[in-house]
Amino acid sequence: MEMIDVENAEGIEVLETQMEKAQSSAPTEIEMSSRELSVWFGKRKVLEGVNIDFPKKSVTALIGPSGCGKSTFIRTLNRLHELIPGAALAGSVLYEGRDIYDRDVDPVQIRLKIGMVFQKPNPFPSMTIRGNVLSGLKLSGMKRSNHDDIVEETLTAAGLWTEVKDRLGAAAGELSGGQAQRLVIARALAVQPHVLLMDEPCSALDPASTLKIEETIRELSKDVTIIIVTHNMQQAVRVSDYTAFFLAAENEPGHVVEQGLTTEIFGNPQDQRTLDYVNGRFG
Amino acid sequence: MTVTFDAQSLPELQNQQIAHPWRKKPPIFTLSVILATVIPLAIVALVYVGTDIPGAVVMTVVYFPLQMIASGIAAFATRGKRGIADSIIIVNAIGATLFSLIILISVIGSLIIRGISALSLHFLYQNNVYVSPSTPLEYGGIGHAVIGTLLIVGISTLIAVPIGVATAIYITEVRGRAVPYVRFFVQSMAGVPSVVAGLFILTIIVATGAFSQGAFAGGLAYAILMLPTVARTAEEVLKLVPEDLRTGALALGSTRARTVFKVVLPAARTGIITAIILGIARVIGETAPLLLAAGSVDSTVLNPFGGPIASIPTYIFNNVALPYPDAVARAWASALVLLVLVAILFVLARIFGRGRLSSK
Amino acid sequence: MSTTQTEFRDLKSAATSHRGDRVFNRTITALAFTALLVLAGIAVFLGLQTIPAFESQGISFLTTTAWDINTDPPTAGIWGMLYGSVLLAVIGLVIAVPASILLSVFMVFLAPKKLAAVLTNLIDLMAAIPSVILGLWAFYILNPTADEWQRLLNQYLGWIPIFENSSGNFLGTPFIAGFVLAIMMIPIVTSVSREVMARTPPDLINASEALGSSLWTMLRYVALPYGRGGIVGGVMLGLGRALGETIAVFFVLKIVFDVNWYNIIESGGGSVATLIVSRFGEVSGEFELSLLLAAGFFLFVLTLVVNVIANLIVARTGRLQK
Repeated sequence: MEMIDVENAEGIEVLETQMEKAQSSAPTEIEMSSRELSVWFGKRKVLEGVNIDFPKKSVTALIGPSGCGKSTFIRTLNRLHELIPGAALAGSVLYEGRDIYDRDVDPVQIRLKIGMVFQKPNPFPSMTIRGNVLSGLKLSGMKRSNHDDIVEETLTAAGLWTEVKDRLGAAAGELSGGQAQRLVIARALAVQPHVLLMDEPCSALDPASTLKIEETIRELSKDVTIIIVTHNMQQAVRVSDYTAFFLAAENEPGHVVEQGLTTEIFGNPQDQRTLDYVNGRFG
Repeated sequence: MTVTFDAQSLPELQNQQIAHPWRKKPPIFTLSVILATVIPLAIVALVYVGTDIPGAVVMTVVYFPLQMIASGIAAFATRGKRGIADSIIIVNAIGATLFSLIILISVIGSLIIRGISALSLHFLYQNNVYVSPSTPLEYGGIGHAVIGTLLIVGISTLIAVPIGVATAIYITEVRGRAVPYVRFFVQSMAGVPSVVAGLFILTIIVATGAFSQGAFAGGLAYAILMLPTVARTAEEVLKLVPEDLRTGALALGSTRARTVFKVVLPAARTGIITAIILGIARVIGETAPLLLAAGSVDSTVLNPFGGPIASIPTYIFNNVALPYPDAVARAWASALVLLVLVAILFVLARIFGRGRLSSK
Repeated sequence: MSTTQTEFRDLKSAATSHRGDRVFNRTITALAFTALLVLAGIAVFLGLQTIPAFESQGISFLTTTAWDINTDPPTAGIWGMLYGSVLLAVIGLVIAVPASILLSVFMVFLAPKKLAAVLTNLIDLMAAIPSVILGLWAFYILNPTADEWQRLLNQYLGWIPIFENSSGNFLGTPFIAGFVLAIMMIPIVTSVSREVMARTPPDLINASEALGSSLWTMLRYVALPYGRGGIVGGVMLGLGRALGETIAVFFVLKIVFDVNWYNIIESGGGSVATLIVSRFGEVSGEFELSLLLAAGFFLFVLTLVVNVIANLIVARTGRLQK
């Protein structure tokens, strides 16, 4: 019961910040976009004809029932999709004006610019907290000076600094689920990505940690473009500026039913199915 | 040596309890069990004391059938006809377990009893240069063989571990098209008899003349036996590394290679150590490949290419059947040393193996 | 700005499109083929050594039994050794298979969990005992006891052909060698059969109560049929090991260049692996060495075939059980 009150209070606050934002940056610049994107696992087509623009320094929520292909979609945006055997696609994903699936594009460079946070927190167990934050630099071979500053900056941005500043040398395995997820966000930020993909980042967390992560997301969207998959419609309302609604009929590939400003999608949806979904009638 | 997971700890078995219906005990069960245990034992004791038939024979020929009959009668009395089949299985199952345990105890016990007499500090570090089979036990030792074994095992570890781990990485990380074939080759290689591994290295020596019998050749032969063990165990432990860690690293802009070396292998560190220990344990007592590829000698050799070199297994082999009690005592003592080495490796593998499972 | 590509793109090669990773992948792939390289190397190098053997002996190298290297012309044949290897392994199997299955039954269905865990460790330890130690033990400890057993067998069951003994010498017999092989096979077979039995679905076991709540019916109709494939595979792995065992057999078997068809408690028998080691120490020259290498080649082929079959069986049952 308490949760609902908190959510309502937060929700109002969010709407206010969103309105402020909409006023301050009127003409939106597009950070990345998908064009006629269709995706296959082997012979099975899971997505068809997805066209979405992701405006710079905004939060876009991808919503829809399970199995509609939204997690698959987000994994095509930084070329993690291709790690699955039998993966294939048609169409393109444009970033900085180029198709990231072009033959001469290095996926490693793409993933460096487009970071990702997963459903289950996955800090590296063999490294310390500090080591995890800096692991992106080590793994990508990126050179950045002032490691201490990076650790403080990113952990602060992820809302974890005050909790761990005295035990940076501790093993990452000691953190709680919510802390681990914020550590993973700090880790993703340390390589200074332009886009941060989040695949249901709160689904494995308790309500208190969820709120902290949502605060972090709003804070981060001042500097990075965020694309977030979520099952939680309140969360989409609270954190996102734009929303895309995915749907898949039985044994059909998923597609985007409706997209636009979050306030529009939730307040005044054009499609009956969107209306039903955001009102919790299915999914 | 095989790595097996304790079946009882598998989660699906913990969730679902086996009812063990055959364990239901009728009231007169206890009395029957006591009678069925005491009577055969009493008869056997009488036969053993009253005749001069050796103990092992009494146990197999008299006690075992008698116990089966007694248990069968007891089972019939308590559970009727169906009990007879069960009692025969149970007596035989316990018999088979005791049989295996008796052999294990006999092997280890005889090594300790017969090996301890020749064992002394100097036995561990002196070599055999001035020792003949009839030299008393105050002189000489297997220091040269210990050094030889360490050198040969060290060389084979240096060769087999990188290749074995790379093979496991191919199967679990690179995941190329040839994975089923590579697995098949590794399994087939695991079946290569140790004597064939020795012969193979010998033919290379004969055919190419690139090196001679010695520690390096012995190490190569050992590496052939070690590689499949390391590859298979490493594959098993790399599979336990959660997939999230790999995608997590790749999502940070890591290359495949860095993901493997900086995330996957460190996460599987204790498991890889277990793989190495099991690999060493697999080869350390192998004799035939060293007889063929490494030879044997009485002096201490440190150069891997410096000609024939001693080792503990070949030392035992050379002394077992000599008609000199002191030489035989030395063989027992070296076998005890070898068994202690194996036991240490065995315990280490268990310790690291446990860490590997609990960190999952 | 590049134009939108709409054609279907297979991403198989995309996963390695980073240049450094292509080098990494190639290096690892090359190393992964070491196993094939070694197997091929053994087949070629030892295979070439069969040429001198066949040139001098023809097919009789495989079909006859003799080892007279210093006669002119020399005669050599390994039939007795090949047959002996199989005979020893069969004796080992006859002892080890029932013992291993019963041992697994005890560990999985009868023993308390803690005892079963201890036994698992002890059986694994048994697998780790080097064969040279088993040979030493068999030579001094097993031999006198086995001598008694065989004398009794001969005394009371001597009318059965396999228990005949005309020499009065009961040492160096195929039975003793097979017994030692059984000791080596028990841990191998047990570890596989224990694992497949432990994986018998508990609901199947509980359902067997309907058949009469007896251990026998449960084993007969549930556990053994369920685990059969795995047990057979484990037995084949043990067989492969037994065929190639050299040193333990060396100490307890008297190698004779004659075919001992079935007199398992008569002194003297054959084993390819043991032949190689026993002749190698006093090899008369290059020709005899090449005969031994050729014998090694056929031992390799024999064990390879057995192991391939074993692994196919184990792999197939593994798939079925998933």
